[in-house]
Amino acid sequence: MTNALAVSGLTKTYEDFHLDHVSFTVPSGSIVGLIGENGAGKSTTINAALGLIQKEDGVVSILGREELDGDIKEQIGVVFDGSNYPEILSPRKLNRVMKNIYRTWDEQTYFSLLKQFSLPSEKPIKQFSKGMKMKLAISAAFSHHSRLLILDEATSGLDPVIRDDILDMLLDFVQDEEHSILVSSHITSDLEKIADYIVFIHEGKVVFSKPKDELIEQYGILKCGAAQFDALDRSDIIAYRKMDYGWQILISDREGIQKKYPKAMVVPASIDEIMLLYVKGEK
Amino acid sequence: MKGVLVKDLYIARSNILVTIVSLMVLGFGLSFLLETSALLVLAPVVSTTAVFISITSDGASKWNKNIITMPISRSQIIGEKFLFYILLALLGMLTALIPCGVLACFGVDVTLRSLCLYGSIGISTTLLAGGISLPCAYLFDPEKSQIVFMMSFMASTGIIAGLVLLTNLVFPVKENILLAFNLVLVISIIWFFISYWIAAKVYQKRDIT
Repeated sequence: MTNALAVSGLTKTYEDFHLDHVSFTVPSGSIVGLIGENGAGKSTTINAALGLIQKEDGVVSILGREELDGDIKEQIGVVFDGSNYPEILSPRKLNRVMKNIYRTWDEQTYFSLLKQFSLPSEKPIKQFSKGMKMKLAISAAFSHHSRLLILDEATSGLDPVIRDDILDMLLDFVQDEEHSILVSSHITSDLEKIADYIVFIHEGKVVFSKPKDELIEQYGILKCGAAQFDALDRSDIIAYRKMDYGWQILISDREGIQKKYPKAMVVPASIDEIMLLYVKGEK
Repeated sequence: MKGVLVKDLYIARSNILVTIVSLMVLGFGLSFLLETSALLVLAPVVSTTAVFISITSDGASKWNKNIITMPISRSQIIGEKFLFYILLALLGMLTALIPCGVLACFGVDVTLRSLCLYGSIGISTTLLAGGISLPCAYLFDPEKSQIVFMMSFMASTGIIAGLVLLTNLVFPVKENILLAFNLVLVISIIWFFISYWIAAKVYQKRDIT
């Protein structure tokens, strides 16, 4: 399987933050969710991959090429949080701008998406709601035959109905195996619905990069009291937290653990819970 | 680059229209008091303010971040702003020439020499100022760049005065005033291109977030 995006050893240092040799891939035809708390390094990773910021070290390969030239950029659709288009423009004027930027700009697709999203083509963007701006940005990203979509917190601040519409569009997009998506979000429930792989970044480092199904089907939380916690084999524990009512222990082999400790209560873990235990738990 | 230029024309459209109308009114209005061709000094300077409106708008809407992800290079992004600046300066000149032409038809004394002289001073001031303020717009935050923008016109006037004084050491400027200001114009054009080169180099390495 080829990779639409391959990030290897990406490093960037700021005064108060260090992106530390981040590596992961976005296989062609898949959706990869980049998760992590605010300030974990998701946007820095995306910005460095897109050449918005200078990386100190590491290699980024997009659609098989390390040089991010015009030809590659034609095939990447990027959606940031907010529309990031001049607010004085209307979608129709934006079309005139974009068709002079992208060689592959498809007016027909663009206007049909505007129609599908019920976006007025003559109204200035400044009069749009946040959801409308996001739909416009997604329409633009879909209108130049992108092969790789990169969305940075694109669904944050949107209501569940609009988010669901957008998630459906993303799922449609990857029906073509040539198409791939990297989506960063701290709304993990969205990623649970659509992602094939989850990359978890914490304090500038990749904590894990795993298929979502593996996380959902194999990871779990063992809930127990102090005595049972003390009796646990430490190598079974990924992270643990002491709660008011007992202990919560993140484990990576739900069935195996249940067999090993038949009296323990082992429940499936959501991505949110996995993330919380990694961030707030002890190891 | 064409798409970005189209975007800037949309953003600056209302400002450009106001500038054109103001220059027309000034041209005809001042003709009773001053030499009409003197408007050529003011026109290109006033017209180029629209570039800074577009730079501010790009920052506020985060278009400057979005455009980096599009198939256009960083040097093209900078090049477009410099080109837009020149186009606006020329548009200002052309607009100022309209009242000059109309008034000349009605017998007002507008000579080719005065048009060349004032035109040369106007374009020199604009290019020298742009050569200072445009790179700074990408180096500093919007507040600081607005201050630099205003200061740049004062600085360019000072530079022109200095260049004329230096020229006077080589040949008497009073007898060769047009030649002296054409020399200043050539230096301004060279400075503007050097400024573009510096701005493009600096922007190449700049983090856009």
